[in-house]
Amino acid sequence: MAQIEQSSGGKKKKGAQKKMSIHVDFTPMVDMNMLLITFFMLCTTMIKSQTLSIALPTNEKLQQEELQKAKESEAITLILDTSYDDKGGIKENTVYYYTGKPEAEFNGSQLVKSNIQVARFKGDDTEHGIRSILHKRNEAVLKKVEEQKDRWRNKEITEEQFQAEAKKIRNDEKLTRPVVIIKPLEGASWESLISALDEMQINQISRYQIGTLTDVDKAMVFETPEFKKAHSHEDK
Amino acid sequence: MGKVKIKRKSTLIDMTAMSDVTVLLLTFFMLTSTFLQKEPVTVITPSSVSEIKVPTSNVVNVLVSPQGKIFMSLAGDADAENAEEWGSEPLRKEVLKKAASRYEELTGKKLGITQMDVEKFAKNASFGIPLEKMHEFLMLDQTKQDEWIGDPNRPDAGIPLKEIKYNTPDGPVTTNEFQIWMRAIYNSSNPNIHDAIQKGEGIAIKADRGTKFETIHPVLDNLQTIKMNKFSVMTALKDQAD
Repeated sequence: MAQIEQSSGGKKKKGAQKKMSIHVDFTPMVDMNMLLITFFMLCTTMIKSQTLSIALPTNEKLQQEELQKAKESEAITLILDTSYDDKGGIKENTVYYYTGKPEAEFNGSQLVKSNIQVARFKGDDTEHGIRSILHKRNEAVLKKVEEQKDRWRNKEITEEQFQAEAKKIRNDEKLTRPVVIIKPLEGASWESLISALDEMQINQISRYQIGTLTDVDKAMVFETPEFKKAHSHEDK
Repeated sequence: MGKVKIKRKSTLIDMTAMSDVTVLLLTFFMLTSTFLQKEPVTVITPSSVSEIKVPTSNVVNVLVSPQGKIFMSLAGDADAENAEEWGSEPLRKEVLKKAASRYEELTGKKLGITQMDVEKFAKNASFGIPLEKMHEFLMLDQTKQDEWIGDPNRPDAGIPLKEIKYNTPDGPVTTNEFQIWMRAIYNSSNPNIHDAIQKGEGIAIKADRGTKFETIHPVLDNLQTIKMNKFSVMTALKDQAD
């Protein structure tokens, strides 16, 4: 292969050279190629990062009013919080949520009664995961989407058609759809916000917004035993 | 018994085939690779189920460091036909000129950015320096620039959100350098990035998973103020365990 054989044909001269083969050693070339491959392998990104698209309401009042008009029974408010360990890493993301209007009864600064509840971000549909709670709230939409999904699985419709149908269902005015207001506390991590937005995608919720905390919200959250427990080591 | 003659065999291995394979692999990697972007800070993005890929052209990446510093990187049109007009380099040049002149107009300060600075600026994908320091920054060599940008304790790294007040016929208005940059990008002569921003694909926000909401909120707030309320956030693909 890498040798050139000199033809032995032709006239034989006196003192002609013997048949000679020229070997070319490819080892250094392979070495160099391997180095280059290593370089390219280390410097490339094969997996592009994913994006999650979000649309925030404009700062104009119009849209906010529209959301307030939404039926109170459909509204659900998520308050996000994160506790950190000593090194500043995330220990746990917690969601506090209430439906409708905040209801709180104070005795001095002591919270006596409120409609706030606690949940966690869990991948599975366990009872205390926020996913199952949102799932229940958006059941009407999810059921319809699932029907379309089955049609897609049975190859009755294409993926594009399915996506179009799903979008139509998500924005169907006739169905009871929840309005989710996400309110991260100042200390909430970016991860918790993304997880919350991710849950919106998973549960096919089309109406959500990032809102600002009210004093009542804060007071209610700060008084929950879970919040106190999560932040107890930070005060020390 | 006749003596068995053992022929001396050469130990040379023919490397030609190996070389062929490595060259093929090399070609593959060279053609498929997109280089890792050099970024002032390394962040670990949170995960989501979304499967939309990050666009590589006509996009402005807004990177928020855990300390709340803002860096941007700008990519123009990837279409070879438009490279002259709307490619990354011409776009960055135009954006810097627009942002600088707007800043000068609003504050009345002279920035002294020369044509050479503009050329240098266009070479780097990411930037994040107050406009006032831009000239000083661009005069430095590459290593010094990286040190400057990468230093988390330096107050003059990152795009400042300091208020700039100016008067309009309708009354006084405040803005900041981040808004000036975003507007300059939006109003550039490249219609594709304009469309991308309107659709929400043109702005990608990247932040570390552990960064607190209060650190990122100003960025989201500023985007809302300039009505770029549709954008995307960079996430990693969620693995099964999450």
